[in-house]
Amino acid sequence: MVGSFILFAMLFKLPIGISLIIASIAGAFVAGEGVPIRHLVEGSFLYFDPILIIATAMIFMEVIRRSGALGSISRFIIVRMHRRPFWLLFFLTLFIMFPGMITGLSTATVLTTGAIAAPALMLLGIPHVTVAAMIAMSAILGMIAPPINVPAMIIGGGVDMPYIGFELPLMFATFPLAISFNLALGYKYVRNIQIDKMIPKLDTDYFEIYGWRLFLPLLVVIVLMLGVRIFPAVFPNLGVSLIFIIGAIIGLFCGKKMNFWHVSHSAIQEALPVIGILLGIGMFIQIMTLTGVRGLLVIGSLSLPSFWRYVSIAVMVPLFGAVSAYGSASVLGVPFLLAFLGKNEIIVGSAISLIAGLGDLMPPTALAGIFAAQVVKEKNYFKVLKVTLIPAVITALWGILMILSANFLAKFM
Amino acid sequence: MNQYKTHLMVGIISIAAAVILIIVAGKQFRQMHHDEPLFPSQFLTRTIPLSEFNKNLQDTPGDATIYCFEGNEPGGNVLIVGGTHPNEAAGFITAYLIIENLRVQQGTVYVLPRANHSAFTHNDPQEGHPQFFTIVGKTGERRFRYGSRNTNQVDQWPDPEIYLHFPSNQKLAGNETRNLNRAYPGKINGTLTERVAYAIVNFINTEHIDLAFDLHEAAPEYPVVNAIVSAGRSQELASEANIELQFEDLYYSIEPSPYNFHGLSHREWADFTGTYPILLETANPMQGRLRGKSAASLIMTGLDPMYLKAAKLGVLKVPYDNAGIPLNLRVGRHVAAIAKIVDVFSRNYPEHAIIVSGLPTHDDLITLGLGRYF
Ligand SMILES: [Zn+2]
Repeated sequence: MVGSFILFAMLFKLPIGISLIIASIAGAFVAGEGVPIRHLVEGSFLYFDPILIIATAMIFMEVIRRSGALGSISRFIIVRMHRRPFWLLFFLTLFIMFPGMITGLSTATVLTTGAIAAPALMLLGIPHVTVAAMIAMSAILGMIAPPINVPAMIIGGGVDMPYIGFELPLMFATFPLAISFNLALGYKYVRNIQIDKMIPKLDTDYFEIYGWRLFLPLLVVIVLMLGVRIFPAVFPNLGVSLIFIIGAIIGLFCGKKMNFWHVSHSAIQEALPVIGILLGIGMFIQIMTLTGVRGLLVIGSLSLPSFWRYVSIAVMVPLFGAVSAYGSASVLGVPFLLAFLGKNEIIVGSAISLIAGLGDLMPPTALAGIFAAQVVKEKNYFKVLKVTLIPAVITALWGILMILSANFLAKFM
Repeated sequence: MNQYKTHLMVGIISIAAAVILIIVAGKQFRQMHHDEPLFPSQFLTRTIPLSEFNKNLQDTPGDATIYCFEGNEPGGNVLIVGGTHPNEAAGFITAYLIIENLRVQQGTVYVLPRANHSAFTHNDPQEGHPQFFTIVGKTGERRFRYGSRNTNQVDQWPDPEIYLHFPSNQKLAGNETRNLNRAYPGKINGTLTERVAYAIVNFINTEHIDLAFDLHEAAPEYPVVNAIVSAGRSQELASEANIELQFEDLYYSIEPSPYNFHGLSHREWADFTGTYPILLETANPMQGRLRGKSAASLIMTGLDPMYLKAAKLGVLKVPYDNAGIPLNLRVGRHVAAIAKIVDVFSRNYPEHAIIVSGLPTHDDLITLGLGRYF
């Protein structure tokens, strides 16, 4: 299966999504399952909700970009904060992480606050590929950071462990990393900002023209997303996709004029390859499970001797999370947590969720990487992944360290 | 112009391919929407729709049938719930077996075999599960559905990102919104799953159920397996039955209901009703993440080469060898535990005694097989 995927993707240069579909069919056929249409269709529905979220988030992002809201926010950030570069990066990191902390979705984070921060960071002189890497890492760590961490919930759910007491371990797992990564990657560029040279490069201040109305769509999206979390009894659960669509429609009337059909057309066109990958990965995993390849991989990782078991967590968990951290948390996170019973489960679960989060950087899907690349208009997302390599390795090591010292850390948390 | 034509051709071919997929797969998905016929024993006195206990379930895919077996002599009331998780075959097959074989002398036995009716109508994406498996019964092949752990998304969609349990506000991953065994005590006008949970709790209260079983299975690597799970009130009953089951060489672990985990049947039935709740677990390799091929035969045999490897690695919580864990053995454990607990309960509370017969013993199911009872 893996072989036929590489063959079609690399040799025939077919899109990754199509290659995955062909590989799934080939895998099922070789395993004597024929062409199991029901399984192929069922598997492709695995990521139906994320697909809707991505499509609508792309439309929303395109709308607030064209309305002038994004440009005006970066102008504001630069004009106000250029004198304090350390705090600028510090607060931007928390700002980017925020939607991930609340929604538990890294892609939604990249496409909202990531998209807002990106132009500012680029204008400050940070190379665009580095900006994409900073955003991707912040989004992933935001997804893992408390209060909401879906991979940790999935891992906990697999062993009937309530999602209680994860706040401190998850803060320990994420914030030190996120802030130091962004400082390490970006500080040298923003140390000396010459504001006079920058002002002409900045976008027009549309805030002066449209006033607070400009930020209304963003505000509505944030309020609707937060509202259902904070006042679940009062706020209806609209779902993230519908919230993005509402935001996009409001955005049409709150800034520079635009043609909605053009906007949605170009947004969907950009999202289409990723949607194809998600469909393909869904099929691929379903066929892997059907034919027993998944079990082979899980047993393989569990049968390694203890040192290599740690290595395999660092390698296999992100690898399996190629599509999304959620899948990896469910398939490998749960057996690994069970394999480490006896260590503090909350800290081990937090650490595995941290490593699972790295799945969003793993090709072919690398959702966080792909969208971060799109946000900075970089066509080749592998360039972004190259910059995230060292932070990703450090993150994996941080997670392993947490597992090793779980019982020691537990005394402080 | 030429390029336009190519695009048009690609478009037409793609749409045609999609239509073919929709027709072929759609037909297969539709098959899951027919309830397999059950043939209740002659001791069935009536059936009650679950929606009678929550009007908001009427004409929804969440409505289900409660089979009621009333003995001639008055006594206690027992409820046996199967199909909370329709991917746990021994859970609902045990309920089916009881419906088709039960004789009641004293008291009343209620069986709700498809508690999450909607979850029987689909499979979990990513799991590669079969849709059906067959048991060769007395009158020929009987085909049963193998469903999903959760309510069908066609009936309840979309999932929130985070599931807030009512009324505790406990947070769980969003897909658990459709897990009946995280929904108790339920909500009269909540999600479909919450409405089902509410109806079951209301049923237990209305009919004064003394003793209530929730039948499950779990992956062999899961910590709570081959277990009797009970909340505070039922713990003595469970331990007493467990000791007597040991004399029959049937070993269960006794697990308390976790006090800080909400939504589970044994936990919330204890808090929101007066019943003695018991949850039973057996080990089903088809649910496990370690399994090899997901063939329908695995449901019946419970024998899987990857689990043999896992057993050697020492990661399983149950004994596992070349004999596998076949369905008749799993159903046998459920039936034996139910019979024993009902026995002990009747002995301890003679005014609420329930006396039944017609059910096979664990050994009957091992030697004669499941088919004998279908
Ligand atoms: Zn279950």
